Amino acid sequence: MNQFIEPKILQGTRDFLPEQMAKRDYVLEKIKTVFTKFGYDAIETPAIEYAETILGKYGEEGSKLVYRFKDNGDRDICLRYDQTVPFARVVAANYKTLPMPFKRYQIGRVWRADRPAKGRYREFYQCDIDIIGTQSLVAEAEIAKVMAEVFTTLGFSKFKIKFNSRRLINSILNDLKIPAENQAGMIRILDKMDKLSPAEIKQELKSLASDSEVSKLLELVCVEGSSNERLNLFQKYNITEIQEFLKIAKGFGIPDEVLVFDPSLARGLDYYTGVIFEVYIPEVDIGAVCAGGRYDDLCSLFCPEKFSGVGVAFGFDRIIVAMEQLKLLDEISLNSQALVAYFDADTLPDSLKILGDIQTAGLKAEIYFEPAKIAKQLKYADKKSIPFVVMCGSDEKERGEVTIKMMKTGKQKTIPQDQIINYFKGYSSL
Amino acid sequence: MKTPERLRIAVQKSGRLNQGSMDFLVSCGLTFAPNGHSLILPCQNFDLDVLYLRDDDIPEYVSRGVADFGIVGQNVLAEKEFEPKILKKFDFGKCRLMIAAPADSVIKTSKDLEGERIATSYPKLLTDYLKKEKLEAAIIPISGSVEITPDLNLADAICDIVQTGTTLKAHNLVPLFTILESQAVLIESPINKQAKAKFLSKCGIN
Repeated sequence: MNQFIEPKILQGTRDFLPEQMAKRDYVLEKIKTVFTKFGYDAIETPAIEYAETILGKYGEEGSKLVYRFKDNGDRDICLRYDQTVPFARVVAANYKTLPMPFKRYQIGRVWRADRPAKGRYREFYQCDIDIIGTQSLVAEAEIAKVMAEVFTTLGFSKFKIKFNSRRLINSILNDLKIPAENQAGMIRILDKMDKLSPAEIKQELKSLASDSEVSKLLELVCVEGSSNERLNLFQKYNITEIQEFLKIAKGFGIPDEVLVFDPSLARGLDYYTGVIFEVYIPEVDIGAVCAGGRYDDLCSLFCPEKFSGVGVAFGFDRIIVAMEQLKLLDEISLNSQALVAYFDADTLPDSLKILGDIQTAGLKAEIYFEPAKIAKQLKYADKKSIPFVVMCGSDEKERGEVTIKMMKTGKQKTIPQDQIINYFKGYSSL
Repeated sequence: MKTPERLRIAVQKSGRLNQGSMDFLVSCGLTFAPNGHSLILPCQNFDLDVLYLRDDDIPEYVSRGVADFGIVGQNVLAEKEFEPKILKKFDFGKCRLMIAAPADSVIKTSKDLEGERIATSYPKLLTDYLKKEKLEAAIIPISGSVEITPDLNLADAICDIVQTGTTLKAHNLVPLFTILESQAVLIESPINKQAKAKFLSKCGIN
């Protein structure tokens, strides 16, 4: 008896079958369309890198989650953990020849040796845009505009782009006389605001500041009201950056209700220095679906040059989950839009010609591979949700006609063969 | 002294709206001298030129402000997806955009259009209609003489402007249902000009 290998995959990794892939490709294409509309070009970097490139960049916790191994030549290798560090390496190696400011998008898999959980994978996709080599706030505003267009294009109607500024947070912490060495820690705690209860946040903050400082800080950052009302309460701090950003964002045509100033927004990572972003879908409780901000020192570990930049990462898997939940992907079907039936050897050349015509009309179309009973061919079309089955049997061939079966209604329509291109070109739903 | 701004109004060069449009301008007290074959007709007693255009080009001229006003059918505005300010609705140029099919056709109701070939000069309005009715069909875009397409086995039905129905009858077509009612309207360009107000008061529109 044959011994079969169990067809299993690692926990935290996924196979994507055609139906799932069709949805993912659809979303990816939409996102790419927005990126390229704003002139972003793509780059890719290897899945495997020298360990020294990757290690030590993600804090103590992060480093434990890096996949690391010796390859066959005994080299110390890591799997890509995110796309930012490899991007920094690419910039450091190429900045003399790259157009500056440099903007790029990068969509790829990353690997983390994390304990798999709901919505947490060992292999997943990141989808980043960054602009580096400029300190202009036009860059922040453009990134905000791209985020707004991505989520609008994907069909989200209630998304919010929350933003804040690290400069403002630091200005508040300085004003409260929090020592510099405690500020990063406090920002990391503030970042957990939507995961922990107010009491827990308070408790954690008290390890780094006094009771009265903590109360004052929380009172300040948790104000209610519109972006402008909130901003007015921070006049005594450094808010010129935020005001300038809002002015440019308005010029880009980002609606006020989309862009929300949230002084409690902190972002956990240490390297942010200016405006920071997080995007939320209020109807779907999965946390931020996109996040990032301004950093001042991207490449310093790889070259003497300093590059200020701003970038965000779109949480591709979370976006898919949110869209599925909001039924924004229900209409996505597999590729094939028309199946040409295969009757017999005699009519096959006509059928193949018709297949070419249908494709010329712009439809994705295929021919059935065997002269099987028509019921079987229709079943195949049904299983792949193909909307049209196009038939040219011996009767049709003789009359120079072709019959189109609309699978949704079952109705059949016979037209002259030489009209098939225009028939599908003018089809109202295609 | 600044020379007064000269206004332009776009009207249909020839066809069913031309006479009504010119009658309206004359009824406002504007006078015009015959101008041969020129497509620009200056007004004799007002700073206004009449532009003679194809009716489906009028939205383009008015939306860009090249013409300050236009007289055009609502069917053309809807097909071009142009939604200008409408200053006046006229009682000429009344027509309906209808679906018609040969008398012996199986097509009797909108539901029967599914998968059929429909010839039209209004592909945009037809697409919207089909979508609204949750129907799918093959649209055959044709610029004119749409009525002959069913006879030539190019289409199974047509979607066209019907005024009296005589052209349909001549081609053995039966009007089935209306997808848009239309009449001539006076429209205004989105670009502001001081002189516009003077013209409007001359026409008795405020």
